[in-house]
Amino acid sequence: MISRIVLGVVLAIVVLTVGPGTYIYLDRHQSKIAVAPEKPTAATPRPSAFTLPGTLYVAQSGALYSLSSGRFHQVTSEAGWTQPSLTPEGDLLAVKRSFLYSDVYVLNPFGTVLRQVTNNSVAHPKNADPGGYHWSFYPRLSPDGKTLWMSYDQPKFGYDVVLSVWAMPANGTIKQGRLWTNAADYTGGDTQPVPMPSGGIIYTRYTYGPDEKLIGQLVYTNHVYSAGRALTTPSEDCEQPALSPDGTQIAMVCSYEKQISELTIASWNGSTLGPLRAVITDQLVAQPIWAPDGSGIAYLAPGSPNGPFQLWWLPKAVYAPPPPPSIPPVTPGGPHNGPLPAPSTGPTPAPAARMQVTTNLGLDATSPMTWGG
Amino acid sequence: MKPGHRARASRLRLSPLRTTFLAFLAIALSAGSGGLAYFVPAANLAFQSTGVNVVVPSPSPSTFFTSPTPSPSPSPAQVGAFTVLLLGSDDDSKFSSDHVLTQSMILVRVIPSAKRVIMLSIPRDLYVHLSPGGFGKIDGAYSYGGAGAAIATVQQDFGVHVNDYIWVGLLGLIKLIDAIGGIDVVTSHPVLDDYYPADVFSNYPYDYQRVAVLAGPQHLDGIEAMQYVRSRHGDLQSDFGRSQRQQQVLLAIRQKAKQLAPEDLPNIAGAIGGELKTSISVTRVTEMLPLAASFDNPDAITQIVLLPPYTHGGGPGGSIVPNWGEILPLVHEYFP
Repeated sequence: MISRIVLGVVLAIVVLTVGPGTYIYLDRHQSKIAVAPEKPTAATPRPSAFTLPGTLYVAQSGALYSLSSGRFHQVTSEAGWTQPSLTPEGDLLAVKRSFLYSDVYVLNPFGTVLRQVTNNSVAHPKNADPGGYHWSFYPRLSPDGKTLWMSYDQPKFGYDVVLSVWAMPANGTIKQGRLWTNAADYTGGDTQPVPMPSGGIIYTRYTYGPDEKLIGQLVYTNHVYSAGRALTTPSEDCEQPALSPDGTQIAMVCSYEKQISELTIASWNGSTLGPLRAVITDQLVAQPIWAPDGSGIAYLAPGSPNGPFQLWWLPKAVYAPPPPPSIPPVTPGGPHNGPLPAPSTGPTPAPAARMQVTTNLGLDATSPMTWGG
Repeated sequence: MKPGHRARASRLRLSPLRTTFLAFLAIALSAGSGGLAYFVPAANLAFQSTGVNVVVPSPSPSTFFTSPTPSPSPSPAQVGAFTVLLLGSDDDSKFSSDHVLTQSMILVRVIPSAKRVIMLSIPRDLYVHLSPGGFGKIDGAYSYGGAGAAIATVQQDFGVHVNDYIWVGLLGLIKLIDAIGGIDVVTSHPVLDDYYPADVFSNYPYDYQRVAVLAGPQHLDGIEAMQYVRSRHGDLQSDFGRSQRQQQVLLAIRQKAKQLAPEDLPNIAGAIGGELKTSISVTRVTEMLPLAASFDNPDAITQIVLLPPYTHGGGPGGSIVPNWGEILPLVHEYFP
């Protein structure tokens, strides 16, 4: 038997705790789909976390980060920085994007601006025509460090704003630059030039395919303002090329005019692309980049379905598995008269698999990564 | 203890059975009230936004209307199929709230038995006979007579029966996508626009801004997704290209929505606020959620954009002229 007074007090406590408790419980059990990404430097790596070789630079929320020895370091503040690439001296080229325009800068590895390369603002911003501003994207230096390649929205005609590939002296100004490609009208244009060691560039051309859909196509050119040579077909819809360190393979993503993005590789002999080989087909792959030591490919893809992009690693053994061990030929009719034993191939090594390097980040999938040895 | 005291003490005490019952009752009521406090605001918003029935006016007489009346009895293969008209509006401060244009009109047919979806984008500049009377661009129908006029216009011109409509405002799209944590889209090309309307978060809604949505797979937040689906200056196909992008984003939202938990609904309902209206009742929305989640095969989603020869430019006031001889057979094939 319980006293009514005691029971009343207990029930009052129950009512006061269970009601708000239920509310808090429901609130805490929302799905995690809208949780904001962490800063890369806030994510604590597990002691056994996989470590990539060298130093990899990525972008998130307008800041550049370096990843070396398994730890992220913030290189710049969150001020519109994106699309880093390394210079032969170890400095960084990067784009600083603002509301109306973007410019290319040279930074040291600690994020200090050394030089502003382009000036795409207008002289008198008040009431300026938006068409007076310009975009510069995807800066890359040639292997000799003398030429800066980038996508730049010049020329443009009224509503027809397209990116074209430009080349300019690395220490010069855009006035000394040369227009290298003739971008197709109303397509978005030509992007992501990758300078080749043998000269020329591979870039992504956006154009209308035979079915009138806009598609991406890898193009090689080594002559200024020439049409270049298409390396992929319109139906393959490929973009974001990356050259392997030994210069013999190209990694890219191909979408086949669908909402998919497959990691695809092909051999490259300096002028011709071999058959395309899809390596990852079940992820939305972006911005593949080869490890400088040739040990694999890093890329960006959602960590969970439809989530923000994370860093992934694909070991070389997955896309270039070692040849199977040779089986010694068995010669029938020898001293053994019974049935031939089944040839033994020894223990099969566990297949290498892709690895998710980060979990709670929101890496910029429109920003190519850059990787120093 | 004296007998009187014992009796009084006994009256002040409860049996274990009654105590247990009262405890369970208190827990249940308290938990229920906590749950109600959590879900009621969302339910209230949901009831305000859903089941918004509209009067669909009967078609006005026109010699232009030549479409056959849609068949009222669906074929056995399409039992349970229904058609929804999706309407998207620029409800920025350039327009009064009841007189907005529909920048996006997509007819969606859902065939649950075949797990199939057909999406047909109607060009907003299509020059048609409007249900309130006269001819004009189809995006004006909503402005003249709300969702009812938009539905009636589509029904009379395309000869389809629209079961329900969903209207979403510009801010609603942004807030919805942000509330679900963004969407993953493979943008087919860089979308560059130097004269994109700066009318959503601007003091001067007639101003312009520059937009550059770069190409490739990426995670878009609400504003970026809106820029991707709304920009049309950098596309040779203008509104047609935009329609294709709108369909991509719609499918991405559907993919992401499959991951939602019931506990997410208050946040989402609160985020969208009055930026969404639909004739579909809450009960039907609840019934349709598992159905939406079951559509997993991308090949079972047919996307149609009325490019030439279905339409051609050169209509009055920059409108697009429909080629009904081509459009109607196509529409009736997919929207019987």
